[in-house]
Amino acid sequence: MINGLAALVLLGAFAAVSCSRMPALVRTFAFQSIALGALAACVAYFTDSPQIYVVAVLTIGLKGFVIPRMFSQIMNRIKVEKEVDPLLSIPSSLLVSGGLAVLAYYITEPLITHGEPITRNALALSLAVVLIGFFIMISRRKAITQVVGLLIMENGLFMAAISLTYGMPLIVELGIFFDVLVAVLIMGVFAFRINNTFDSLDTSFMRRLRD
Amino acid sequence: MVILALCGGLSAVGLNNRHKECIYVAFGSAAAFSACGIVVAVEVLSAGPLALSLPLSSDNGQISFGYSIMVDQLSAFFLLVICTLALPVSIYSFGYVKEYEGKYGLGRFGLLYNLFLLSMVLVVTAGNVVAFLIAWELMSLCSYFLVTFENRDTEKASAGMLYLVMTHLGSALIMSALLLIAFQANSFEFSAMKDVGQFMGVDVRNLAFILLLLGFGTKAGIVPLHIWLPKAHPAAPSNISALMSGVMIKTAIYMLIRTYFDFLGINGPEDAWLGLLFLLIASVTALVGVLYALVEKDYKRILAFSSIENIGIVLIAFGSALLFKAYGLNDLAALALIATLLHVFFHSLFKGLLFLGAGAILHATGTRNLERLGGLSRRMKVTSVLFFIGVLSVVAVPPFNGFVSEWLIFQSLLLSFTLNDVLVNLLVATALGMLALTGALAATCFVRFYGMAFLARPRSREAAVAKEVPRSMLLGMAVLAVLCLLTGLLSTNIIQVVDSVTTPFAGTSIAGRLTNGIVLETPVSSFSSMSPVLISLALLIALPLAYLFATRYGGVRAVRIGDTWDCGTPLNERNEYTPTGFAQPLKRVFRGFYRERTRTAVERGADPYLRRLTYETSIPELIDDFLYRPIVKIAVGLARKVGVIQTGSIQAYLAYIFVTLVLLLIIFR
Repeated sequence: MINGLAALVLLGAFAAVSCSRMPALVRTFAFQSIALGALAACVAYFTDSPQIYVVAVLTIGLKGFVIPRMFSQIMNRIKVEKEVDPLLSIPSSLLVSGGLAVLAYYITEPLITHGEPITRNALALSLAVVLIGFFIMISRRKAITQVVGLLIMENGLFMAAISLTYGMPLIVELGIFFDVLVAVLIMGVFAFRINNTFDSLDTSFMRRLRD
Repeated sequence: MVILALCGGLSAVGLNNRHKECIYVAFGSAAAFSACGIVVAVEVLSAGPLALSLPLSSDNGQISFGYSIMVDQLSAFFLLVICTLALPVSIYSFGYVKEYEGKYGLGRFGLLYNLFLLSMVLVVTAGNVVAFLIAWELMSLCSYFLVTFENRDTEKASAGMLYLVMTHLGSALIMSALLLIAFQANSFEFSAMKDVGQFMGVDVRNLAFILLLLGFGTKAGIVPLHIWLPKAHPAAPSNISALMSGVMIKTAIYMLIRTYFDFLGINGPEDAWLGLLFLLIASVTALVGVLYALVEKDYKRILAFSSIENIGIVLIAFGSALLFKAYGLNDLAALALIATLLHVFFHSLFKGLLFLGAGAILHATGTRNLERLGGLSRRMKVTSVLFFIGVLSVVAVPPFNGFVSEWLIFQSLLLSFTLNDVLVNLLVATALGMLALTGALAATCFVRFYGMAFLARPRSREAAVAKEVPRSMLLGMAVLAVLCLLTGLLSTNIIQVVDSVTTPFAGTSIAGRLTNGIVLETPVSSFSSMSPVLISLALLIALPLAYLFATRYGGVRAVRIGDTWDCGTPLNERNEYTPTGFAQPLKRVFRGFYRERTRTAVERGADPYLRRLTYETSIPELIDDFLYRPIVKIAVGLARKVGVIQTGSIQAYLAYIFVTLVLLLIIFR
């Protein structure tokens, strides 16, 4: 069950790579976050720890609904074109992502062999999600896609934390949620400013800022 | 004391807009501060060490951090040096800073001045590494802000920048050296670091020696780390130049004595290389300093180069002290160390006086170019007399103080023949020769300075309209001039005090043998002796006698006063001997060193006569060109190369991180 949900999260990351339009990307992210919330709920059920339920609810609520809503608002406000503008074409991006997933398994192999039985694969999966999130940040031009990439990375980290340690202390989790929310807010403001200054959200325009 | 300085500084800021009160409060408190300092110093020198620990010290189990103040004999001596100079300089400042009224913030000046004094005092009284480093940095920063005080002048701002870079380079070296020692001693307290050198490994100890030499050498201005000094000292307001040249660079000497003799210790002949290294560097420093001073046109730069020269002389004495100590000749080590301290003290007095004098000239004429001065002795009578005393001291004419300390240094070097090592003897003899050459060149240099600035006729309008400076400035200079003479005459008494300072370091007290009433002798019996008091008495008697003799037996010559024969052309300032001309013979002698560039351009008109003849000469700064330029070039080149990967694109930066991350994961999986 947990493995299945974790695989779903990874699938979400792949789907995010394959998205060619922004609203779809944001929806994919929401889907991935909901899967992650479900995963957290599962972990909570198996380990019988009520605090992880809180975390699960927060994940679904914040990342599944609030943050995607904020994204669509920002996109409506600044009337951004809907294309994702990849630096690398989508098929080759998918290939790279596949390679990254293999890499993640390769890297975590020595660790997995003596891990907890329930979450054995979760570490490799979450590392793959982190790497793919990073890759999205690199290969997409628009500021908003980069923010989404960052959030996907964050999801990966979160998954690793929850599946390996069965949840960090609640206060830490709350702190992280707050952090993510504020980060999205700030990056929204930045995206707005970048758009105003360069008439585009394409960060490659910021090359001119050098020197 | 601390509170007094802070109050002075802060109230100066408060009174920023009321110029007069601001000046009085700021420099009044600075003067009171220095007076307190003198009292404390004298008390410690006569009574014994003083230790103070501020309550903010905390103990983290292993090594205690805190702020402690410790005044022992050595600190007290340097405290005395600082405050003795600071008092007259503060008095002088009352008049001097009026120049800045309305142009630059006087409150800022007052604050920085007080902080600068305070930080110098804290440097020499710091009781542990933390306190020392804080004070040292504070001193560097205050002096930086004072150097760039006239911040609307780009040249001054860039001089300040160079100073900041060099001084931080030095600080980094000092910090690492002190940490090396502190970890060996397992404590940051100076008292616990005493004699810790004998427990250190040879390599570590030698490393600490070298780091300290380079670190403090940067501050002291040894060649080739001196490049900031001739730029920063002239850029600062003159009263600050006096403090920087007079005492700030001496704090480096203080720390060198403290670290070398107190912490690391000189154990035996295997440390002799250190003394020789010092002698080598110091001789080069002295010679290079005086050679540049000789040809410089900016008179404040002349004084700055002369400071480099004098630091060289001080370090020659210090180096020979190290050498003697290494060979176990404690008597001679004590002699050399006393000479070191005396020269530090005396140099601070006469260089302070000279810088104040230079400030007076600047105040009166507004130019720093020696070529534009002349004839000031008629227009600034008092200044010229006081300045002359400073000149006599700096070129070591008896009975002024410079003579006493240089005499002692020569004696200590001459006595090196008692060492049983031919190579060392030869090297010391070379240093001796360099020192003698330096002395002669310094005399030429100051004859040129004094002659060109004060004698003959004005070479420009600025010099022709110069007026005597305000009374407070004259008073400040007069105090120093009197001190220059007094410390020369009473040097036997001063040596008694200095001997008590050096006894713990040299391991022996030689005051009893060094002074015989008013006669100075060397500790090796009947080698040589002299007495400043007797010399001055002899001069007092001999000079009138000579005059009488000359007028009596030389016969009366008919004197007719008339114009100089001028070949029919009007004589004006263009016919005068110039500073450049004065230095020309020596430039020829040392042309291999100066590598002067000259350019002569002839402009002809329609008639056969010359329209205009221009002659340009410039002296390249060798050390800049051959040492620092290539370093800078390499650094900039490397930065360019690295700059290629700085594309400005966020994706590229992220990709760098990503690739690094993946590679690390693969390698360390």
